[in-house]
Amino acid sequence: MTQTPAARLRFAAIVLLVAAFYAASWQLAQVSPAKLATGLPKMASWARKAWPPATDELPVLLRRAAETVAMAAIGTTAAALLALPVCALAARNVTPSLAVYYPVRWFLNALRGIDSFVFALLFVAAVGLGPFAGVLGVALHTWGSTAKLWAEAIENVPPGPLEAAAATGASRVKVLGFALLPDVAPSMVSVVLFWWEFNVRASTVLGVVGAGGIGQELKNSMDLLDFPRLLTIILIILVMVTVIDQVSQSLRRRLE
Amino acid sequence: MSTVIRAEGLVVTYGRALRALGGVSLAVAPGEFVAVLGPSGAGKTTLFRCLTGLARPEAGSVWLHGRDLCRLDGRALRDARRDIALIFQQFNLIRRLSALQNVLAGRLAAVPTWRVLARHFPATDRALALSCLDRVGMRERADARADRLSGGQQQRVAIARALAQEAAVILADEPVASLDPESAAAVLEGLRRVAASGVAVVASLHQVHLATAYADRIVALRDGRVLQDAPVAEIDARAIEQIYARNGDAA
Repeated sequence: MTQTPAARLRFAAIVLLVAAFYAASWQLAQVSPAKLATGLPKMASWARKAWPPATDELPVLLRRAAETVAMAAIGTTAAALLALPVCALAARNVTPSLAVYYPVRWFLNALRGIDSFVFALLFVAAVGLGPFAGVLGVALHTWGSTAKLWAEAIENVPPGPLEAAAATGASRVKVLGFALLPDVAPSMVSVVLFWWEFNVRASTVLGVVGAGGIGQELKNSMDLLDFPRLLTIILIILVMVTVIDQVSQSLRRRLE
Repeated sequence: MSTVIRAEGLVVTYGRALRALGGVSLAVAPGEFVAVLGPSGAGKTTLFRCLTGLARPEAGSVWLHGRDLCRLDGRALRDARRDIALIFQQFNLIRRLSALQNVLAGRLAAVPTWRVLARHFPATDRALALSCLDRVGMRERADARADRLSGGQQQRVAIARALAQEAAVILADEPVASLDPESAAAVLEGLRRVAASGVAVVASLHQVHLATAYADRIVALRDGRVLQDAPVAEIDARAIEQIYARNGDAA
């Protein structure tokens, strides 16, 4: 292998740059192995104190878990309904005009760029504490994400069948409803299931900002250092998320 | 002779120098099967695009039922196109729908929007679609998914879709170019029978022997001009073979 001096110099410069990036990141993130060394035994003692998990409040906690699943379901469904009319406008191959396409894309990117957690924070202030603020947060973020993924699915559809349907003299709505929808429907449903699954996981933390669900109990227990109760909550979350993941994945596999 | 569609003096130029059509005229009567022949670049595709109103010629007209397609746009053009059914080289069926539903696509313009969206076509349209499948010998595959059919079968379903549209004219752009000889024969036989039922059929083909075997009339294009336009019996097949052989040479 032959290397010119210039190539070696460039390689050294890249190594230096990468090293500098990580050094700066280490400082900014305030990484401290010493703190971890003192913190780990603390966590180990919490783990010992947490056993056995508390069962006396199980009915309340299960209700809270159901709240989380419900928030994700309502939020995702609302997002899907909102995304339905918008996705066709945001797909290059079927949009009526680029003057519509670009603003719609920007709007969807803005929704997608703001996490449901941030939206929930705003809605807690606007509509008050509770799961409804979480539903609104989930719905807005998922609206943008779902519409964008649907638009991409539409853009991947072969143009020939649409052209053939349009050539019969059919209106645009008929062409989209009859020739486009059957082609994209399976991947659209798959996208919605993915977001429902994702939102159940995301919703577990929404309670931390007061937007309802199991996350609220998680924060309460942590604040009170009630470790047996905390363990119960974590176990409930694990079971809930695993079951939802499995259900969603097996449904999505059937759509292939 | 009565004509259903008539092109007059079509001129299409791409860019500054490339003349795709240099004054092409063509008239087709109901029940006639016209084969358009010519090497790649002779102007076949451009001619078809003009006949469907997809391309605007710089000069010339396309007359259909007393209206000039080249002067229509928007809804008027869409309505006019209901009377022209298209058949494509790549079939263009909706892959996840059954053969029958694909044939029902030919009824889209005639059926109310809510029925289309609910996929609930009137019984008369369903009966018509089934009879169209029957005419191309595909009735027993009515419930098969389009992407499970062979290329030849898909093209026969596409012919049934064109029939279901009940158009006066069927335009087939290279309908057998993607098919094996046996399927090509079945498709062309289907088109010949469609023409015999009173529809004007115009198909662009690549092979002279298929054109002479199935069509009533042959229009040979070369360099954007009509070289020959005559009934099959009077056509000089050798002269047409030569336009393929000499394609690309300066005349």
